[in-house]
Amino acid sequence: MIGTFTYLTLCSFKNRMRRRLKRLREPRYLIGLIVGVLYFYFAFFRPRSSSRRGNRGVPGLEQFAGSIQVLGSVVLFVIAALAWLWPGSGTPITFSRAEVQFLFTAPVTRRQLLHYRLIRSQLGMLLSSALITLVMRPSTLANSWMTVVGLWLIFAAVRLHLMGVALSRSSLAQHGRSGIWRQWLPLAVVFGAVGVLVETAVTGWPGLAAATDPGAFFAELQRLCTTGAAGIVLWPFRTLTALPLASSPAEFLAGLPWALALIALNYAWVLRSDASFEEASAEHAEKRALQKASPKAVVRGATATPFRLGLEGPAETAILWKNLILLGRYVSAKTLLRLLPIVIMLAVAAQSSGRAGGIATAVAGMSIWLAAMFVLMGPQMMRNDLRQDLAHLSMLKTWPVSGAAIVRGEVLGPAIVMSAATWLLLLLGALLGTGLFARMGDGPLPILNLVSYAAAAAILAPPVILAQTVVLNGIAVMFPAWSSLGSSRARGIDAMGQRLLMLAGILLTLALSLLPGVVVAGALMAIVYWLTGTLLIFIPALLVAFVVLVECWVAAELLGRVLDRTDVTAIEPVE
Amino acid sequence: MVIDVQHLTKTYGSFRAVDDFSFGIGAGEVVGLIGPNGAGKTSTLRCLVGIQAPTAGTITIGGHNIVSSAISAKAQLAFMADEPQLFDYLTVMEHLRLTARLYKVLDVEARAKRLLDELELTGKEQALPLELSRGMKQKVAIACGLLHDPAVLLFDEPLTGLDPLGIRRMKETIVARGKAGAAVMVSSHLLHLVEEICTRVIIIDHGKKIADGTLDQLKAQPELAASGSSLEQIFLTATAREP
Repeated sequence: MIGTFTYLTLCSFKNRMRRRLKRLREPRYLIGLIVGVLYFYFAFFRPRSSSRRGNRGVPGLEQFAGSIQVLGSVVLFVIAALAWLWPGSGTPITFSRAEVQFLFTAPVTRRQLLHYRLIRSQLGMLLSSALITLVMRPSTLANSWMTVVGLWLIFAAVRLHLMGVALSRSSLAQHGRSGIWRQWLPLAVVFGAVGVLVETAVTGWPGLAAATDPGAFFAELQRLCTTGAAGIVLWPFRTLTALPLASSPAEFLAGLPWALALIALNYAWVLRSDASFEEASAEHAEKRALQKASPKAVVRGATATPFRLGLEGPAETAILWKNLILLGRYVSAKTLLRLLPIVIMLAVAAQSSGRAGGIATAVAGMSIWLAAMFVLMGPQMMRNDLRQDLAHLSMLKTWPVSGAAIVRGEVLGPAIVMSAATWLLLLLGALLGTGLFARMGDGPLPILNLVSYAAAAAILAPPVILAQTVVLNGIAVMFPAWSSLGSSRARGIDAMGQRLLMLAGILLTLALSLLPGVVVAGALMAIVYWLTGTLLIFIPALLVAFVVLVECWVAAELLGRVLDRTDVTAIEPVE
Repeated sequence: MVIDVQHLTKTYGSFRAVDDFSFGIGAGEVVGLIGPNGAGKTSTLRCLVGIQAPTAGTITIGGHNIVSSAISAKAQLAFMADEPQLFDYLTVMEHLRLTARLYKVLDVEARAKRLLDELELTGKEQALPLELSRGMKQKVAIACGLLHDPAVLLFDEPLTGLDPLGIRRMKETIVARGKAGAAVMVSSHLLHLVEEICTRVIIIDHGKKIADGTLDQLKAQPELAASGSSLEQIFLTATAREP
């Protein structure tokens, strides 16, 4: 049976690869592959100048090995503990719908199914290990294979352990009180280990808090995690994390038997379990298939709509209303308004408290950084527009609504939500940021300038977000084959290259759309500064915003005409 | 004619899915469009509702060209696809409200209540599509289609996924809309359905119209006369699936 399962696994892998190779006949994937490979080459393989990096590895990775090992072991412990303690029924052993259909109905034993699941996961874990190794770039080839194998063994151990936990929790659920007797040993180990680490964290906290620099902090953390009862509890996790960080083959081989023994122990535990998992796995497979078809809707029920849709008015409002619901039924004007007083109260409290300077400055810095991220990356992430709805093009095209109105309505959703979020962050940044701006400049920033900067940012954010959203929707309408439509995403280096190309195109288009407004506004700003000596940038910002909004309107009209002519056959489902 | 199709041709690359297809449907007519798989039924319906642009020919809905006056034409029609197209994130009532806004229906509450009753969806107003069976989803799509009281109704396999009671109700709904003056076209492989509810039948094969008329008119056609009295026999003879 193992041979059959290996055959199934390898055939699936081979056919997936064949399909990806076959799609390279399409220029979009071929070009994407070239760009993706070039990206990988420049990011990970191209020799760097010695002035920037001493070797091809991540600088200083080896010197932090001790700290990484300790942190890694704590992370592994938390994963293991959460698998036990997380409320709910826990994640069952996962099988696809097809696997449930073919294997659960076949004369295959429970043990064989578990073996299949283990075999099936190895290939993915090995590839993930190789990819992480590539990103970490150990300094030598010997270190590379040790990192790959070490990471693979960690993944294997974690997978086995989580499988064991799933089976144990299933047994507990199936057998009620008697299940506790059946599972007393693992339960005692888990609760004992958590108790030991909590106690160590509580007693060791003063020492950690007293650390004056990161080096001292990690040294203390390392001491706490490697000595006493906590040292014993974390030993299995340290043993595993030591493998990919081994500095020599001898060190790696010395730790290998222990790691293999831990894996064997988990394997025996999984096979010994008497819990049946088939029903929960089959149910989970159905749930996942539904989730894949329409993410979120499975878990979220109907709640209040963002606003009450009137029976009269432009179609754009109706489409906006629909897309705000699509966003998750949670982002409403009311929700955002409810956040406003909290933001202001937090800001006032932080400013008036004794230690406000540090906290307020940190929060302000983070808010401004987040606002910038929202403006630049938000439209690509928030896809409640035509990128989702082109999958429903056959429905949209039956509506008695012009293409331009559909485009306008579709782009409004993400633009309004992202703009509102950006405004909140900018408000927070402006209220708390006086210290930050004083640190950046020669002294406290004049209040007029601060207000002017904040106002300019608030004025510019919506048009910039809208322009990007229009560009992204434009790509979806004009080049649907290049855009990921609906909730599915193509995978692979070629798909990654495609996305990189798209990103470059979007940024270029955005720059071009901003250029006319920026040139005119720059000239105006220079004149105002020359006349008054004041840098009131919100006035030029208004001008830029106006120009970009006009451009967006014109673009929506043109895209609407394209959408009117678009045939549903041009929209193909993404792999 | 409420629906007037003249020399409709639809090609995909070199493949001619619909070839010089002409027909008209008047108010109150319920016309069945039947044909073997790949005959061009779905392409025809999609061109009729403006989902796809015709390669050649003209389509007018209530006097409005579906290409040049798309919005006026679409405002008069409703298309019920074989696979119900619903937004996963909108409840049943929200679908109706959205449709009402798009089609400028002002008395949505009253109409929605009537339709929900008629289609046995009462109590499901706040349900999301994922909480509904396929048949229920089909009914929601039909409720949305009927909400604006369209002059033209196009059904693509309307009985798919419905239970026996749902099938009976659907047939009653289609017939009632026809009697109320709507021009109705039903595309289906279920010949007994077409025979039962349609006042006229169009048979299409390889994109071309090969027969058009009432069942009696078809029976009277010399080349089909020998095939028997049922639509099934007429269809098989007309499409040369049976000698």
